[in-house]
Amino acid sequence: MDGVDLTFVDETVGRVGTTADKVLEILQAIQSHYGYLPGEALERVCETTEITPASISGISTFYDQFRHSPAGKHTIRVCVGTACHVKGAEQVYDAFHRHLEIPAGGDTDPGGLFTVEKVACLGCCTLAPAVQIGEITYGHVAPDSVASVVEDYLRHQSSPASSRRAAGGDGIGAEGELRIGLGSCCIARGSGKLNEALQGALQETGIKASVKHVGCVGMCHQTPLLEVVLPGRKTFLYARVEPGDAKPILLRHFKVHGLGRKVSNTVSNLLDDVLAGEDGDPVVRYSIDVRDRQVADFLGKQKHIATEYCGVIDPVDIEEYIGKGGFEALARCRDMDAEEVIQEIERSGLRGRGGAGYPTHLKWSAVCRSEDDTKYVVCNGDEGDPGAFMDRMLMESYPYRIIEGLAVAARVVGARRGYFYIRAEYPLAIKRMTAAIERCRVRGLIGEDSLELKIVAGAGAFVCGEETALLASIMGKRGMPRLRPPYPAQRGLWGRPTLINNVETYAMVPWILRHGGETFAQLGTATSKGTKVFALAGKVARGGLIEVPMGVSIREIVEEIGGGIGSGLRFKAVQVGGPSGGCVPAKLDHISVDYESLTSVGAIMGSGGLVVLDESDCMVDISRYFLEFTQNQSCGKCTFCRVGTRRMLDILERLCGGEGKKGDIEELEHLAMMVKQSSLCGLGKTAPNPVLSTIEHFREEYEAHIEKRCPAGKCRGLIRYSITDECIGCTLCAQHCPVDAISMRPYEKHEVDVEKCIRCDTCRKICPEKAIKVE
Amino acid sequence: MVRVTIDNRPVEVPQGSTILDAARALGIDIPTMCFMDGCAPSTSCMICVVRLGPSGKMVPACATVVEEGMEAYNDCAEVRAARVMALELLLSDHAGDCMGPCQIGCPAKMNIPEMIRRIGAGDTEGAIGVIKDDIALPAVLGRICPAPCEKVCRRSQLDEAVSICFLKRFAADADLASGSPYKPMCAAAKGRRVAIIGAGPAGLSAAYYLSRRGYGCTVFDDGEKPGGALRNVGQDRLPCEVLDGEVEQIMRLGVVFKTKTRIGRDESMEALCNKFDAVFAAIGKSTPETAAELGFKASGKGIAFDAATYQTDRANVFVGGDLIRNRKLAVRSVADGKEAAEAIDQYLSGETLRGPGKAFNTRIGRLETAEVEAFRKCASSESRQQAAETGGGFGQGAAVAEAMRCLHCDCRKGDDCKLRMYSQEYEVRAARYKGPRRLFVQENSHPDVIYESGKCIDCGLCIQIAAAEGERLGVTFVGRGFNVRVAAPFDKSIAEALTAAAHRCAEACPTGALALRRGASDGG
Repeated sequence: MDGVDLTFVDETVGRVGTTADKVLEILQAIQSHYGYLPGEALERVCETTEITPASISGISTFYDQFRHSPAGKHTIRVCVGTACHVKGAEQVYDAFHRHLEIPAGGDTDPGGLFTVEKVACLGCCTLAPAVQIGEITYGHVAPDSVASVVEDYLRHQSSPASSRRAAGGDGIGAEGELRIGLGSCCIARGSGKLNEALQGALQETGIKASVKHVGCVGMCHQTPLLEVVLPGRKTFLYARVEPGDAKPILLRHFKVHGLGRKVSNTVSNLLDDVLAGEDGDPVVRYSIDVRDRQVADFLGKQKHIATEYCGVIDPVDIEEYIGKGGFEALARCRDMDAEEVIQEIERSGLRGRGGAGYPTHLKWSAVCRSEDDTKYVVCNGDEGDPGAFMDRMLMESYPYRIIEGLAVAARVVGARRGYFYIRAEYPLAIKRMTAAIERCRVRGLIGEDSLELKIVAGAGAFVCGEETALLASIMGKRGMPRLRPPYPAQRGLWGRPTLINNVETYAMVPWILRHGGETFAQLGTATSKGTKVFALAGKVARGGLIEVPMGVSIREIVEEIGGGIGSGLRFKAVQVGGPSGGCVPAKLDHISVDYESLTSVGAIMGSGGLVVLDESDCMVDISRYFLEFTQNQSCGKCTFCRVGTRRMLDILERLCGGEGKKGDIEELEHLAMMVKQSSLCGLGKTAPNPVLSTIEHFREEYEAHIEKRCPAGKCRGLIRYSITDECIGCTLCAQHCPVDAISMRPYEKHEVDVEKCIRCDTCRKICPEKAIKVE
Repeated sequence: MVRVTIDNRPVEVPQGSTILDAARALGIDIPTMCFMDGCAPSTSCMICVVRLGPSGKMVPACATVVEEGMEAYNDCAEVRAARVMALELLLSDHAGDCMGPCQIGCPAKMNIPEMIRRIGAGDTEGAIGVIKDDIALPAVLGRICPAPCEKVCRRSQLDEAVSICFLKRFAADADLASGSPYKPMCAAAKGRRVAIIGAGPAGLSAAYYLSRRGYGCTVFDDGEKPGGALRNVGQDRLPCEVLDGEVEQIMRLGVVFKTKTRIGRDESMEALCNKFDAVFAAIGKSTPETAAELGFKASGKGIAFDAATYQTDRANVFVGGDLIRNRKLAVRSVADGKEAAEAIDQYLSGETLRGPGKAFNTRIGRLETAEVEAFRKCASSESRQQAAETGGGFGQGAAVAEAMRCLHCDCRKGDDCKLRMYSQEYEVRAARYKGPRRLFVQENSHPDVIYESGKCIDCGLCIQIAAAEGERLGVTFVGRGFNVRVAAPFDKSIAEALTAAAHRCAEACPTGALALRRGASDGG
């Protein structure tokens, strides 16, 4: 290629800086400007900064975010997180490739319009399978809907929705409040469009109601949620609201001023109904009552600490946060000794919420005791577990709480500089945290003289969730973990003592200091205190973000909060803790959710992703899925993880592909034990967990695969599709088959051409008669 | 000072020492590959794992700092198993042969690539030295050997095998015709005598190598002249002069020939066994009667002997050649003679009798298409030289041209590779794990070093050294996880990336990934 204009590179370097730790930020700017990293641009960076060619090459090839060749105009990112995987993300990915006629081995269509990528987890698990194009997230995408997704996106591009100014939404003389969730999931499900529609309807009708943006309500299965709060009256909650429902909802609850308007509203309302044609009363259909059994169940067991004021508080409204007791904890600890604060944390029994459960007060006091005059505090927001989205939700919904927790920690340990390391896949979280930090600075809560905070955006590397790798990444290096000790508390950022805690851990701190450690410790079990936030997803009826006291049982979470399996199939297992965790089988659903109990059954608490599996999920496939993930995310440093996980994956791929042989299970166990035992860092040491736990609880499924059977009917190499006599000849399957493996024969029994069949499962899903047999 | 124990042996080491330091202080040898003094430990290869008691944790000794009272175990089953697996995993992602397929295919395990390099460099005298380290009758075999080496020659996957047999014959003929044929250095006389029964290829070979090892040899044969079955090949294929010439080279080492003497008839086996310190019997294809003449117990399957050491149930009697083989193959007999000589040497030196043993080897196996192309770049593109059938073999020009066709599959660090050394020591199975692996790639741009990323174990020593030497470009890890590779930045060549540091990097490389060239002809 010729003539890349490097002016932007020079400007970026001028703006960002020339030290070696700026490399990620510079690369991210270059990538977003050029769409990839042109070689000339990288060489230019080396000429004008302290960054060396070796370092920039090493770093730019380490992180998934960076491309070295031009991409299509738009990037389609297919989420292959756990929840999406179990709901057929692989088939969706293949379908995009087919639809866009992307040549084998490539990732971009011949016209250069779309690049299709897999992304580890978008953290929108309740929308599974989810796909992100540009800034739009599409939920529940199926192989046969990819064409309409692409079409919709292009339509959206050509006529971007005009952003309407809020009219009656300024709150002056408001007759009520409309609360609308603007978390990533809500937006993906259309709450942004709903917001626009509400503003439009308010303007049109002249209704004076204030529209309030609130963080995640947690009921992701019901999004977009619209709550109508009328002063002195009952609150109405609407679930799954469409933009078209905005006006009818408003008209239902608010008085329209002036007769003329009322008439015209009635007319247009009628017109709308006529045009819409079907579904006489869409509003009523979505209306749910908070006293409704389902909602009560979903919320009943929950206890909101990290998610305090969930669904009520505006994420970036600092005054509201302060008004609800925010920054009281920080103020209080200004009058306390560091030791006293640490004692309070110790009394609370708080343990790290990032996965390992290390007692928080021990970390704090280790950094506190150190006599170094420069110390750092770091917030680990690199939530990379597929199937987990707690930290994203917390950062999007409660940025001040996390900042406050970190500020308390900084004060206690004596750090003047703090970093939030947030994964790049969470743009909204980065945006909200940035805005929140800025407002804290303006308010004088943090700042040059007391605490300086900076956000570092990750660049797509799961291993950076490991603390030593994360610190390396902040310092502008490849995210390679190193041997501990020394721990970060001894030698962290730039060799200085560094406190690093997870988002959720910091989010617990203000509550603990306001209510006292004892109060927190009253919740939970003997060794696991307080609450834990979980991302509940998968085959459960009501997925979402939940916060429950430690010690509730798996059954309570799945059956009561989650409402059991949505499809009516049998509950099989819960995958807890993502790629580092394991599967708890249904027969053990009585076990309590706490650090020790989960470890005892081969899972781990992990960061808190709970993916519910039903009988149509193959445990060997789940195991293969996680190994594929960890294998791909291994930093590649130590032999056991780099090669060992690959060899484990080889065996699992053989099993799923119908090429398993006797002895494979034993070989797999042997490899798993050794990789677990001898890998250098947490990633390698826990990568075998999904394999070991599924072998322990579902060994017979592994054995079946050796006999070339997949009992769940999932492994494409082991199954074939056929049509039974139940077929009524409706031709739906033939119409939807993406590869014409079924010929259309109206009113006759259809047949599947097994040679052509790609086992995408579209026919089975579409068949109204359940006439598709998979065996 | 910090007190720790390793394998229950106490030692005191300064604060900040590693377990490896402590082990060295005790004289305990912990294997290392990615670790080098003067470089930061990269904790990558994990061969140095030790077990900590009582937690049972496995930690890399090179980077784990000792703590007061720490107990580490180096010599235990868990540690051994972990090391074996680390090596087997590394080998499963390794694209390179320790020895060329030809050398593995050669029954005599002749270092064929080295012979070819010598011929290619015009060093025919050097070539014959290499040949004679393993084959005592190269001019003979150069005419009659069916050349199993050529059947496995990697070049045949590109076009046709290298004409190895003719190259060997070229060197051997040139040597015999030189007027001062090659005479090896022999060990000082040991004052021990070995009787060899049968002057065929196995017997002649045994006599040659036993003489080189300092033993006095007497060869008994009932024929008119030494040669055994080789005398029956026919003048057109194997002229008498060639055979006589090579027998003469054996005689020059002091071997005594007693022809027209049949043991079991002219002299008893019993007497021979008493008169000599050891006996090597290689009388060719035998019948139960002829075997009985020598006092061997023979079943329908043949004579009873130990396949690894060639030893029979009489401790000082060894056997080889067609006597113990079903298939007649002269090169196999020559190999038997050499290997039995080594076993007899072990026996007579009072060492444990192990036989010749087996050198550890990895092999690439089936080549991917990309690898065929990578190998194509390692040698001349000329097609196979045709030897004039009459007049005998290659002339100098043809030999050099043919030598240039060799792909040099053998490893430049064959004798100096830590991965191979420990694989041998820990008796690992090179092909234990199969699956996707890195490809054979050769980076040939540098005047002094050759880089083959297929052999790299990602230890990062070269990266550290290049950075420390202040290389402008240096090398770096590119990519992540299983696909991580060491490479020059910006797709630059190794020649651009490594200048002053090249030699140090090649020396530090624990495998054959980064190695010094073997000479001008190396690597195409």
